[in-house]
Formats: sequence, C-alpha cells, structure tokens
Amino acid sequence: MTNPYVPSVYIPPTGVVVPKLDPKTVKVGDEIPKLNRYGDYQLWNRYAAVNYEFAGHHMDDSVGHHEGFEAAIGMGPFIHALLHVLLREWVGEERGRVVKVGMQSRRPWIRGRTLSEGGKVTALREENGELIVSLEVWGDNDKGERLVIGEAEVALPA
Amino acid sequence: MSEETLISPEMAAAVGREYEWSTSYPIDASDIRRWAVAMYYPEQPPKLYWDEAYAKTTRWGGIVAPEEFNPFAWMRAEPPGNMGPEASRPWPELNLGIPCPDFKANIFAGLVVNHTGVRMRPGDVIKSAVNLAGYHEKKGRLGLMLFTTREDRWTNQKGELVRVSRSDLIRYL
Repeated sequence: MTNPYVPSVYIPPTGVVVPKLDPKTVKVGDEIPKLNRYGDYQLWNRYAAVNYEFAGHHMDDSVGHHEGFEAAIGMGPFIHALLHVLLREWVGEERGRVVKVGMQSRRPWIRGRTLSEGGKVTALREENGELIVSLEVWGDNDKGERLVIGEAEVALPA
Repeated sequence: MSEETLISPEMAAAVGREYEWSTSYPIDASDIRRWAVAMYYPEQPPKLYWDEAYAKTTRWGGIVAPEEFNPFAWMRAEPPGNMGPEASRPWPELNLGIPCPDFKANIFAGLVVNHTGVRMRPGDVIKSAVNLAGYHEKKGRLGLMLFTTREDRWTNQKGELVRVSRSDLIRYL
C-alpha cells in the first residue's frame, strides 16, 4: 500500500531548542537531542539541487514502485549529511567540529515517513588539545524501524 | 567445482589503483549558503554559513562550509565538463579499463568520512583522488552481493588534506 499523498505546502514541526555539549559534564551514556526530518519532495529536492542527485527513485513514486519500494526513497548520502547536522546542533558549529561520521544503510527512507536521528556517547578522550567525543548514531523512521546505524566523533578545544 | 564469484582476476588485480581524479571549481560563498539552507531546511541555517561579518567573530575567522559540503556538484573544473559519479555510474571498472561484472541493480550501502579539521572556505579549490580500496562478496536476501569500496581523498589548493571517505556500493544479480 502506498503512503497517503502529502501536500507540498505541508511543513511539519521539527525539533526543539537543542542543549549544547558541555565538556565539563559530558559522560559516556549521554544521549543527544534528536533531529527529525519529514521525508518529502520539499526536503529531498533541496538536497538534490545542491548535490546534483536526481536519480528517478528519489524524485518519482512510480520509479520507487518499479524498484520494489512503497514510494520514492530518500538519498543515502543525505541521511549521512543530516547526521552531521545532528552532531553540530549538539556540539555547536561555532566552537566544535565534526571529526568522523560512519553510516551503514539498513532500510530505505520511504517518502511520507519521518526520519529521526539520534546518538549516544560511547567514549571520551583528549587528543592534540581537543576533547574527542565518540558516539553511536542511528536513524529510525516513525514506525520505529532502524534505517541506518553508525559511529561518529566530534571535537571541542580541550 | 569453482565457487560462484563476481570478482574477476582483472578486478582483484586492480585493488589499490587510483582511477579517478577531479578538481573542483573555486568554492563560492553562495554554494555554501545554498548547501546550508538545504541541510537545515525547514529551519534557518546558522549564520556561520552565510553571514561573513558574524562568521569573522567566531573561532573560524570567516565563513566555512559545513563539513559534509560537496564542492564537486554541478560539474567539475577538471576533467572539463565532468558531472561526477553522482550523475553517471559509480562503479570503477570503466575508469580502470577492465570488464564490468554483470549485475541487475546497485544500491548505496554505507559511507565513512573522516574530516581532518581543515575547513573548506570560499575561494578554495579542492582536488579529489579516488582509489579502489577493495571488493568483497556476501550472500544475502538479494543473492550474491558484490561490495565495492572506493576511497576518496580531498586536498585543498595548499595541499592540506581536508577529508578521507570510504564508500560501499552493493551490486547484485
């Protein structure tokens, strides 16, 4: 069954005020605030427009059907790029930086589903004057299915 | 009886070879602003990516690109007219000059990117060098799956390493 049609003017609410990483209190096991994005052409076409990524299965439900999906699917590299946004909103793009983002795909991001990305601190270390925070990261859809898993690192001046 | 494989002797011998080199056009502040708008939509992107006066007050000393920024979209300066693998076929055998295995479809499997801390800024020119990092196979619900790993190293006009990425593509019969 296909997902219901979503009007292109629909802009869903996303996120809340995001607390920032505090290097004095961060600890292993901390979870970071989630990043939510509703998967529709409004969102995906903006990414296609900056990354020149116009494969039919991202732009057209019928191509998605032809390839065995319920509808059009989101771009894997975009999910990976959004993990950077997730991390920067937590570390603070003006004071910290993203060091590493690794991601493996498990399921496609189907049009009409909300992607919810999150992360959990797994390790802390100091290296070359920076505090390096390692995290487990993931992306789920609003049915609770895991779409991607991965690992990441962010850095702050120590 | 030989085991089923999609990896030919020519493919196995090509592992480790560089096979694709590109140079970006100079990065423009508008490229960074548009990228940031797309990444943060429907929210407004941070000023670091579009307000030069503000960005000068930060530790970065001016506008920088978000780490995941792609300076190679919408054509490359070298090779002239090249639109990049996103616009064509992302598998390496054609560029390596070796036969391509038969397959029905391909899907993105994963990506690991290491950012060195050297930021991309307006005016920078980025060079990319891609090598074939390896092949491996697995049997899964799609049948025999061929994983191809490519490693892409980006350097700026000063020769500074900006990022190293390894991406996996799955092809299956």
